[in-house]
Amino acid sequence: MKKTRLKSRELFAIVVVVVGFKLADTTPAQYAQEGQNAFWLMPIISFLVIFPSFLLLMYLLKKYKDKNLIQLMMIILGRPLGTITGLVVFFIAYGLLIFDARNYADQTKLLYFPESPTPVILVIFLIVTFFGAKRGFQAIGTSTFVTLPYLKLSVFMLAVLIIQKVVWLRIFPIFGEGLGTILWEGAKRGATFSDLFIITIAYTAFKNGKTFSKGIYFGALFALFEIVFFFLLYTTLYDYNSIDKTAFPFHDITQYVNFGEFFTNVETFFMVFWLGAAFLRFIILVYLASWILGEVLYMDEFEPFILPLTFFIFPFSLLVENTILNELVWRNSLFIIATPIFILLPLILWVTAKAKGDLKKQ
Amino acid sequence: MFPFLKSKNQTKDNNKDNSQKVLIYKEVEKNNEYIRQLFFAEKNKDFSFRTLTAKYIQKKVHIFFYSSIVNSEKIYNGIIRPLLEADGQSIKDVITIESLTEIKDFDQVVNQINSGKAVIFIDGDTTAYSIDVAEFQARGVEKPENERVVKGPKEGFTEALGVNVSLLRKRFHNHSLIAETALIGTRSKLEVSLMYVNDLVDQDILKNVRERLENISADNVSSIELLEQYIEERPYSIFPTILYTERPDYAAQFIEDGYIVLLMNNSSAALVLPATFWSFFHSSEDRYARFLFGNFTRIIRMLAFAITLLSSATYIAVTNFHSEMIPPDLLLAITSARERVPIPLFLEVIIMEVAFELIREAGIRIPNPLGPTIGIVGALILGQAAVEAGVISPIIVIVAALSGLTSFAIQNTSLNPSVRLSRFLFIFCASFFGMLSLVAALVIWVLYMSSIKSFGVPFFAPLSPHFKSRGDIYFRNVIKHEFWRPGQIKPKDKRKSN
Repeated sequence: MKKTRLKSRELFAIVVVVVGFKLADTTPAQYAQEGQNAFWLMPIISFLVIFPSFLLLMYLLKKYKDKNLIQLMMIILGRPLGTITGLVVFFIAYGLLIFDARNYADQTKLLYFPESPTPVILVIFLIVTFFGAKRGFQAIGTSTFVTLPYLKLSVFMLAVLIIQKVVWLRIFPIFGEGLGTILWEGAKRGATFSDLFIITIAYTAFKNGKTFSKGIYFGALFALFEIVFFFLLYTTLYDYNSIDKTAFPFHDITQYVNFGEFFTNVETFFMVFWLGAAFLRFIILVYLASWILGEVLYMDEFEPFILPLTFFIFPFSLLVENTILNELVWRNSLFIIATPIFILLPLILWVTAKAKGDLKKQ
Repeated sequence: MFPFLKSKNQTKDNNKDNSQKVLIYKEVEKNNEYIRQLFFAEKNKDFSFRTLTAKYIQKKVHIFFYSSIVNSEKIYNGIIRPLLEADGQSIKDVITIESLTEIKDFDQVVNQINSGKAVIFIDGDTTAYSIDVAEFQARGVEKPENERVVKGPKEGFTEALGVNVSLLRKRFHNHSLIAETALIGTRSKLEVSLMYVNDLVDQDILKNVRERLENISADNVSSIELLEQYIEERPYSIFPTILYTERPDYAAQFIEDGYIVLLMNNSSAALVLPATFWSFFHSSEDRYARFLFGNFTRIIRMLAFAITLLSSATYIAVTNFHSEMIPPDLLLAITSARERVPIPLFLEVIIMEVAFELIREAGIRIPNPLGPTIGIVGALILGQAAVEAGVISPIIVIVAALSGLTSFAIQNTSLNPSVRLSRFLFIFCASFFGMLSLVAALVIWVLYMSSIKSFGVPFFAPLSPHFKSRGDIYFRNVIKHEFWRPGQIKPKDKRKSN
């Protein structure tokens, strides 16, 4: 992959859109199933659980200059093992993408287009994804950066509007069901931040390691802050009784707010920005998934993968019988399975590299 | 995906080296005959020649020129009289006109005569001399018609190359401001002037421009408007990639920053390249107005940009698909206004938008004396009468008028059509799935824009990808605080002094 002209700011935007979007999909609902009113603390745990591994990965990437995630695995683990682990990473990334696709299509359908069939909405999603991803990584980075201010402005506006309605005392009891539950359930969902690992496939597209690490660290911290803040808002708005029954907290709070006395139903306004972010997130992830697959299969050109990968999201995501299964069984399970994989992967890489003595040379 | 959307490089060879050049003969009569044949002197009424005996060498001299494109005073005072009267060693001592070029072959002779020079042949000499006496007719310097400003110079480019170059030189006095010439066209060779500041311009871009000019294999490229289409990368794109401006002051601003300006005879405008989205979006007056007002104008323009792009589409999306969003009172107002209207909302919007475009197009073509009359009739029929007849609802008139009027705030003649076309695209998209498909179209639209490059410069630079620049993106800085030249065009001297 050629170097692009992208810098830290575009990477920051990409990370914020990809990771930060978790505040507005069904992730909070999944957390809330276990954490009750303390679920806003759980992303911090998830982050803390997975972040050391991520730092280790970044360290390795820095050591082996100019290699991306998969190239790094190939070098350290050798080709056969590297290919297998590469495929595992790809399947997790692609699997999450499939469930997310269904998830977003269902959300859009349930909330705004109740009479339209899910497949049709899914098709629109995928068409945009395909045409968007085709434009290349630099265009994706640029557009994400250009649109990010508007996306964040809408989220900020929502926060300002909703903050008058929250009851801060609802954060108590501070650990909800108990500290143990919070820690364990939070740790299980470390894969919430798994996208950070997937983004490292683009390591080589940036000017140097410093640009990359600056963008991804700031992006990750901002996204974490955003997620925690919004989870806190959800907690304090819904309280423990209703939070675990709310499927789409973000869309629900947009229905609570109004711009003054005149504009009382402004959820569509926020939906526009939500959709924009969802499209962008999808475009980025499909592009990165094809990139991973391209690297695993040693292809020079990976962009031809965009079409088949986008297309196969359609049948696979429709295989799941319904939203509930998609959400609570499949997506949740994949999260829980993916967490240890992403935690262990950099460790394995590091140990192997250490054993091979690669780390001493540089 | 669509091969025709990709940029095509015209790689046809210029027929440069096909001709075996005919050199000038020693005998003046032979030359005479050859030239007269070449130019069909018998039929061609404005092809003139004159034979005389030069006093300084006592030899026969022939002068050829087109009488319609030269200044006859100059020929008389600068060429004929000195030849008849003056003494001297060589022709250079005799001719009083400032420019005198030696030429050796007939290709050059033809080019020179065609571009308004007089060519002199001397008996026994294998060199001919071309003297610049050109005077092409052109109008004077007038106000730019399409890019008006309140505060700022009122001069516009005119259809004469020399005048245009002079208008630019007037604004930037520097020895390294170069007006390089390239000849384009195979049948009719016309001059294109590339103007740039030599110690600022990026040589790669300059080379790129030169190559594209060389690669034009058309018979005739008569004006800058056509030239734009010959050298642009994506002829099918809805976005322009070369800035077209009628204002010398605006073009001079770009030259100062290291951009390249192309000028030609026959066009009262210049091309500035490489162009970015921002150069289309900004206007020269943004910088003439003081800091706060300049930026206030920017805000207004951004607002206009958003309204003209999205107002009709949003109206369709919201009323057709998301009517819960509209406050009840307003919803009732809209519904009651639409009560008598038989046609669907989408069609209504399309009718009005098309009508507005019709008025606009007709307004441009209408003969001057009829203009106001037709304008009133158009407005009355389309606005008042259509509403009263119950064909369209009054709210649509408001929406269409708003989106139509605001489109005029996008002053740039290249970006304006892009915005208007995109508007129709969004209207169609919004009628499919409301906000879902509208946002989808918008995302693809932004991604497409991000992928455009103009002479290697990304369309959204310097916002993203980031480059050091004077910070003139959404808003401009205080003039004194502009420290950098736009980095995306890689000027040799990045730092500006203020």
